[in-house]
Amino acid sequence: MIRLVWIDYALMVAYFAVVLGVGWMLRRSTRTSTDFFLSGRSIPSWVAGLAFLSANLGAQEVIGMGASGAKYGIATSHFYWVGAIPAMVFVGIFMMPFYYGSRARSVPEYLKLRFDEKTRAVNALSFAGMTIFSSGISMYAMGKLLNLLLGWSFDLSILVAAVIVLAYIFFGGLTSAIYNEVLQFFLIVFGFIPLVYLGLRAAGGWDDLQAKLAGVATQNGFDPGAYTHTWRFMDDASRNPIGVEWFGLVMGLGFVLSFGYWCTDFLVVQRAMAADSMSAARRTPLIAALPKMLFPFLVILPGLIALVVVPHALDAGAGDPAGLAAAGQGIIPAKIDPATGAALLDRTGRVVLDYDLATPMMLVRFFPAGMLGLGLTALMASFMSGMAGNVTAFNTVWTYDIYQSYLRRGASDQHYLWMGRAATVFGIALSVAAAYVAAAFNNIMDLLQLVFAFVNAPLFATFALGMFWRRTTGHGAFAGLLSGTLAAAVHHGMSLAAGSQPGVKGGYFGAQLSYPSELAQTFWTAIAAWVTCFVVTIVVSLLTRPRPADELRGLVYALTPKPEETARHWYQRPGPLGAIVLGATAVLNLIFF
Amino acid sequence: MSGAAGFDIRLPIGVLFLVLGALLALYGVMTLGDAGLYARSDSVNINLWWGLALLLFGGAMYLFGHRARTVQGMHPSETSPEGIATELREHALGLEREDRPGDTRP
Repeated sequence: MIRLVWIDYALMVAYFAVVLGVGWMLRRSTRTSTDFFLSGRSIPSWVAGLAFLSANLGAQEVIGMGASGAKYGIATSHFYWVGAIPAMVFVGIFMMPFYYGSRARSVPEYLKLRFDEKTRAVNALSFAGMTIFSSGISMYAMGKLLNLLLGWSFDLSILVAAVIVLAYIFFGGLTSAIYNEVLQFFLIVFGFIPLVYLGLRAAGGWDDLQAKLAGVATQNGFDPGAYTHTWRFMDDASRNPIGVEWFGLVMGLGFVLSFGYWCTDFLVVQRAMAADSMSAARRTPLIAALPKMLFPFLVILPGLIALVVVPHALDAGAGDPAGLAAAGQGIIPAKIDPATGAALLDRTGRVVLDYDLATPMMLVRFFPAGMLGLGLTALMASFMSGMAGNVTAFNTVWTYDIYQSYLRRGASDQHYLWMGRAATVFGIALSVAAAYVAAAFNNIMDLLQLVFAFVNAPLFATFALGMFWRRTTGHGAFAGLLSGTLAAAVHHGMSLAAGSQPGVKGGYFGAQLSYPSELAQTFWTAIAAWVTCFVVTIVVSLLTRPRPADELRGLVYALTPKPEETARHWYQRPGPLGAIVLGATAVLNLIFF
Repeated sequence: MSGAAGFDIRLPIGVLFLVLGALLALYGVMTLGDAGLYARSDSVNINLWWGLALLLFGGAMYLFGHRARTVQGMHPSETSPEGIATELREHALGLEREDRPGDTRP
């Protein structure tokens, strides 16, 4: 347990004061529903871009990537360079013209314009549910971590975080969330740069780090370079720690899951929709992609470093009755078996590491009082930006796509503004409830990861067909979405990862297919869902009547005039910017090949 | 660059980092030479150095924000063409009705 000093608390208080202050000062300029839900569509592209990135940067990202870095090595960067950048470029260049140009106020609303009400309803309801649970899981993870590291009360942490997020969104709406997300972005950057610097110093630089990781790799039965190369060992699932081969990775993660998230998830798309022009909206994901490319060095490296550095002499023997530190790897402790209180062992008898603690342990190991306060504030900021992003997406989808569409249409603007604020309150209340559900059920996070994959994976097929093939019909989209989700459930039920028990992890229909790892299973589930949705949508669309061309103008690629590029400088145009982003990402892939 | 607020986002960023930087740097000065405290950061007084870096960043942000023009008095959907267009469209589609004068309660 860490003891904090006055300076650490002072830094946290300063941050919360500014966050609340921003919300308070924005209340005067949040006068219409468009202000509250879409920031009056007046956000400049650089702000929208950083918010786009930051809304996605919940704690799952910061802590999760450190955990994955420790578990899978530098190949974790695939989640960024393969699993995010290409999709971000695609959504900026090809999809924003439809989202922004269709004048839809949300992603489900686009579906209604392009298809029909029932497709919108499916998306709105599943998305609304997902945001509540996501937000709840953020709160739960934060409460758990603060309790473990600092001894703070789980209940109080959740309550305080909920109240703060509620306050600033209630007053300032999406603008408040966006402004605070940009603040959080800089805080995370400035909080983690020193960590990487000090960590690399202790590990002896990248070359020494590579050599030490070679030891860990061979210890775990891989080639010496398995933890420090991204593609070299992707030819065979057994040669890399992720347990997947390149095809499953590129198709499952790089295509289906990644495009399914970045191109259809209103959480991020909302930030681009708030931009002040079509040109700005198209640039938003591209501007976000630039720092996104470099984030592996900020969030994944600490995980790698945690594997090889030794605990500091000052921390030796500090309250470690079960010898967890010694049983672990580097500064990552072993997981506790709740039954015996000793280190948990997996089926092969090896110690199971508590990877989620990699990044927090790094903070504690290298940061003296002062910097530690900054690092912890950055962590709390990342949890809260995850919550806020989900809540703003929820209150918009609720008000426009559920309430205004099905419950009360044609009321005054002030009424919907009021409803948006009410939705913020009950959205946060429901999230808190979801956090307690997550606390009660151990496997809830796995379960929800699954649900997201089931829902998101087919969505991209629906959108891709909707935007690029005019023949796609509402019946086709609806059937495709449902069958894709069903296919995901069936594939999951028929497969099991090596070493997993049937149940939440799959195999409930009898494990016919076996995968080397859970991630491989997830990627292939996503592929199955996408292919099913794609095929069913096409077949059902061909059997049903399409809408006439003039109704689809501005909603389908072939029937929409190419957007006029009004940007003055070449680097402000989406095309060249996208090319730069992809080129730089390719270079990064080559460097770490 | 006023965004949707009538105040530039670089101002609160500047304020936050000026405050954080000042606090860190101050603590760094107060603990100058404390070998025990900085043993874990390899004897680098990270508080002082990084505090100064934050001060610089905060100051730069605040300056840029201050120099940019801010939109006084008008609020976003009245000033941005896209905001106006969205509002008009909502009325045209019958999704919302015109606000009657004095309509501030739901």
